[in-house]
Amino acid sequence: MAPRQSTPPAVLACGEIRTCLLPARQALDIRSAAQLLGLRPGERVLLSERPGLYARSPDTLTGVDCPLPSANGARVRAVGTVTAHAALTEGRVLQTSAHCRLPGTGPDQRRPWGEYLVRPGVVEPLGKLPHEAVAQGVLGGPRHGDLDVGLIADGLLTRVLRHPLLDQRPPFRSRPTRLRWAALPAAPGEGPSLERFTLAEDELRTVRLRVPEGTSDAGIAALCDDLALHDWLLTTVVRMLDGLRLGAGAAQDADAVVRTLRPAVDHLLHLWMPGARVGRRLAALWDPLEERPGFTRQWQALVQRIRDQLTLHAIPAAHREVEPAP
Amino acid sequence: MLVFAASDKGGTGRSVTSANLAYQRALTGDHVAYVDFDFGSPTAAAVFDVPGAMRGTEERGLHSYLEGETAEPVRIDVWRQTEHPLLRARPNQSGRLVLLPGDAGGGEFATGEEALERCVDLLLKLNTEFDVTFVDLSAGRSYAVDMVLAATAHPRMSNVPFRWLVFHRWTRQHVIAASGLVHGDHGIIGGGVLSGHDEDTLRAAVRFVRAAVPDPESAVWSQGSTAQATWMQARDEALRRLAAEHRIGDSVVLGIVPLEPILQWHEQLITEEDVLSTQIANKETLDALEEIARRLTDDTHWGRL
Ligand SMILES: Nc1ncnc2c1ncn2[C@@H]1O[C@H](COP(=O)(O)OP(=O)(O)OP(=O)(O)O)[C@@H](O)[C@H]1O
Ligand SMILES: [Mg+2]
Repeated sequence: MAPRQSTPPAVLACGEIRTCLLPARQALDIRSAAQLLGLRPGERVLLSERPGLYARSPDTLTGVDCPLPSANGARVRAVGTVTAHAALTEGRVLQTSAHCRLPGTGPDQRRPWGEYLVRPGVVEPLGKLPHEAVAQGVLGGPRHGDLDVGLIADGLLTRVLRHPLLDQRPPFRSRPTRLRWAALPAAPGEGPSLERFTLAEDELRTVRLRVPEGTSDAGIAALCDDLALHDWLLTTVVRMLDGLRLGAGAAQDADAVVRTLRPAVDHLLHLWMPGARVGRRLAALWDPLEERPGFTRQWQALVQRIRDQLTLHAIPAAHREVEPAP
Repeated sequence: MLVFAASDKGGTGRSVTSANLAYQRALTGDHVAYVDFDFGSPTAAAVFDVPGAMRGTEERGLHSYLEGETAEPVRIDVWRQTEHPLLRARPNQSGRLVLLPGDAGGGEFATGEEALERCVDLLLKLNTEFDVTFVDLSAGRSYAVDMVLAATAHPRMSNVPFRWLVFHRWTRQHVIAASGLVHGDHGIIGGGVLSGHDEDTLRAAVRFVRAAVPDPESAVWSQGSTAQATWMQARDEALRRLAAEHRIGDSVVLGIVPLEPILQWHEQLITEEDVLSTQIANKETLDALEEIARRLTDDTHWGRL
């Protein structure tokens, strides 16, 4: 078998991201972040301090050889490698992100490993790829045994969370989220677009995109990492506010309110920076989300509520309750 | 906080009582997880009335997770999935109540290094998400007990607070057995020390719950003869002396759950409606459960004695 020169262009890219609070009392500084994310000796961790502290691990590759999930029951086998990385924002929010791209056709028979290894992050179908059905299958959740990039993201998260640097004392209780994405080709001449953003379950989001041919899957992954980060921030702060028993009016309430909301101020409110790490072309995909449901508008309303609550409860209890005039 | 529920004998009321404690904590607004590590009989789901997992889940349960066959064990949102009509309307201001079931027909299995690491991963993850995590352990000095003793002694867990509740019935045999489980040569304390726990610290984190205790004063027994009443009083006194001699006396008891007729008939959660509206359950039972749930995190009831 003569080695192939190139693969056809990708017609589908997909990935999954896990986002959680770093289980450590103090946010990590840039040096500790580099230690935490130094997954491969000798390979540098990407560090940037502007805008905001951000660290990203080198990519890891995971070999896969399994059927692809699909909505129409087609069982297409695919072989290749999935790319994954871990990232830490402001030393506080940890994400792991796994993704791959799939060409429209692949060799009819499995090729030697070496051929797949020279194409990191590419998973090739045996034969033709029913890309619409597979995209739907990916977003719907793979069955046991199917290609599951979420498992790869989860495995990497487990690995990072075992790092001895973490004292396992998170400053508040929170829930991790998962974001699954799939990107299909845009119609010729069309720019990138965000077709759907859904809150599938309590902690699962799905994103369906259209991108022009040639859009790098690393770029799409960066956009989705960013969406996942901000969605997690919103979700987490909403839950903090939900946890309050407002209006009970007892003096002890003030303590509880401050105890619940303080961590948002200390650890989360300064992290809101949508689009900051996304290429200009793809950053435009934030726009529809800003219009509806209006991510930043929601965020600002939450921030205002938190500030109001904290101001209100910093005032001694005696002045807070106004007796109705007789 | 992690709360391990243990008992020496089977059928002591460990699962039913700890499920009720989990429910009570969730009612007060805590996010609560209930982990079914009772590998022999994964029945906690029955108490919460979640039908799919009545006898453990079909796949992706805790055994599969610990054995590395599944990355994330199934979670059941009790408020959403219970068939109990009162629980379905999630009580106002309650926290989450999530059950992690065992696998159907899982049984006990030998623990290895990797299973231990995975157990630590799971407990740490739950601890970041939930205010209280209850872990129901198989009866006796089981693998499950050994595994969580090793897990809590693991360096990664050194900042995670945990407490033990040891359940027993109020008879001679049960008192002696419960004491043996904790203080005996091969008990929780001894085993914990071998796993790397500090003896005093571990002992300070163990309390006892006497389950299904007939209260001689209660109306339930008032129909009996004076001779019966006198006899019961005397037995009760003798048992308390026996418990004290075996180092499980009143000072290390977190609470006493009275014998509750409806629990003898049916493993279930006791709701306020059961006491106030339909009056099928006794108020004393609910009071006791509420009080034990409260004391779980009240430091004045814990520590060295
Ligand atoms: N306070 C109580 N009053 C009367 N019956 C009770 C009480 N608490 C529990 N029971 C009943 O005792 C029986 C055993 O309880 P449970 O199943 O909780 O025990 P267990 O210790 O978990 O047993 P196993 O080791 O088999 O898992 C059940 O039928 C339960 O309903
Ligand atoms: Mg049980």
